[in-house]
Amino acid sequence: MADRDTPLINNLEDGPWPSYVKEIKRAAKKNAAAKDLLGVQELSFKDKITHWKHGGIVGVTGYGSGVIGRYVDVPEEFPAVEMFHTMRINMPSGWFYTTDALRKICDIWEKYGSGLTNFHGSTGDIILLGTDTKSLQPCFDELTEAGFDLGGSGSALRTPSACVGPARCEWACIDTLDICNNLTQEFQDEMHRPRWPYKFKIKVSGCPNDGVAAIARADFTIIGTWRDSLRIDQDEVRRYVKNGFDIKGIVTDKCPTKALAWDEKAQKLNLRADDCVRCMHCINKMCKAIRPGLDRGATILIGGKAPIIKGAYLSWVLVPFMKMEPPYDEAKELLHKIWEWWDENGRTRERVAELIERMGLKTFLRAVDLKPLPQMVYRPRANPYVFFD
Amino acid sequence: MTEGVSEELKEKVLKYLGTVSKAKNRDVARAVEVEKALVDKAIAELAKEDKIEYIYLGTSYIQLKQ
Repeated sequence: MADRDTPLINNLEDGPWPSYVKEIKRAAKKNAAAKDLLGVQELSFKDKITHWKHGGIVGVTGYGSGVIGRYVDVPEEFPAVEMFHTMRINMPSGWFYTTDALRKICDIWEKYGSGLTNFHGSTGDIILLGTDTKSLQPCFDELTEAGFDLGGSGSALRTPSACVGPARCEWACIDTLDICNNLTQEFQDEMHRPRWPYKFKIKVSGCPNDGVAAIARADFTIIGTWRDSLRIDQDEVRRYVKNGFDIKGIVTDKCPTKALAWDEKAQKLNLRADDCVRCMHCINKMCKAIRPGLDRGATILIGGKAPIIKGAYLSWVLVPFMKMEPPYDEAKELLHKIWEWWDENGRTRERVAELIERMGLKTFLRAVDLKPLPQMVYRPRANPYVFFD
Repeated sequence: MTEGVSEELKEKVLKYLGTVSKAKNRDVARAVEVEKALVDKAIAELAKEDKIEYIYLGTSYIQLKQ
């Protein structure tokens, strides 16, 4: 097959940054699908429309998730990508791999697919881009043989995701990696056999810095926190100040509830613990002097999502504090109640937050056996996206 | 928690799916008048037995294996 001229997408090779066009061209030297992929992209740029369609029946035996059927609408022009299905592979918690494991995945994918990958998709899965229907089952069989499994897609639980947590971060108040792995193992059926009105996402962040952006992206958000008081090392605080650190301008003035105050005379950082909202600002700025408390658990929030039916939502507090210890039965029980209510009442493509808005928080709380609390504020659960016209 | 799935329930599910082009699990549970959690389990078993398949048309549905 002759090389096509691709002047429009060639522009994406300019500049000092990595270029996916450059990478696809490398793959195109040994893979016909990668070559046709460049052609489809060029045509889409020229026509200013996508030439991809997705959906339909594709999958592997027993699964309704993990494979996203993709087809090009001009197969006569690009036969090598007539079918260009995506496979989502469940990543390990914290995205820790051995090089052997990575090589194994890539070898399998070069055998059955285009060789193109995306490490990782927005949810965190390993994304294998481009294969045909007949290759799905043998590819899946080899991947499972190598210890991997499909992730979530469609109207199912999406692959749970977590920040790297205690593996590398001293602020982790919960074992995000274990929670993520435990929930993933527990809810295999919910992930692989879609049965709900629409998608449902669980994300786990170890502290309120929210490293996986769970508040904006997860229907069920688990954020590590503490319910006792910040731990302050006053000697370290004084050392910061002595070294010229602007404690007033950088820390106390920016404390959202003014829970912290610097006593210049006594050279002491005072805390009104009841007012602290655990935002992490002071800890981030004075990480040698201030640490989270010791009575740790998680705040559970509900309803984060990107715009589809209604606008984007940030998730809001559902359970201000929950101890998160294996086997995490309290969280699992709550999840089951939420799913049961949503599945019974949700309209097609209605996320749980939209259903709560439609039917009312009171109805939802009654269904999941929770009492209303002041922390369940509606504001500032506003649209986090700002659009400039 | 649900108990084991009977062959009778699986037959009922298959019979219902024979009358529609596609369905959500919820619709199946209502049609066969059995607790949804049990129907979910029956559908999962039928998927593993390769008797039904999943289809995505804006949302996920099940249908009899073509």
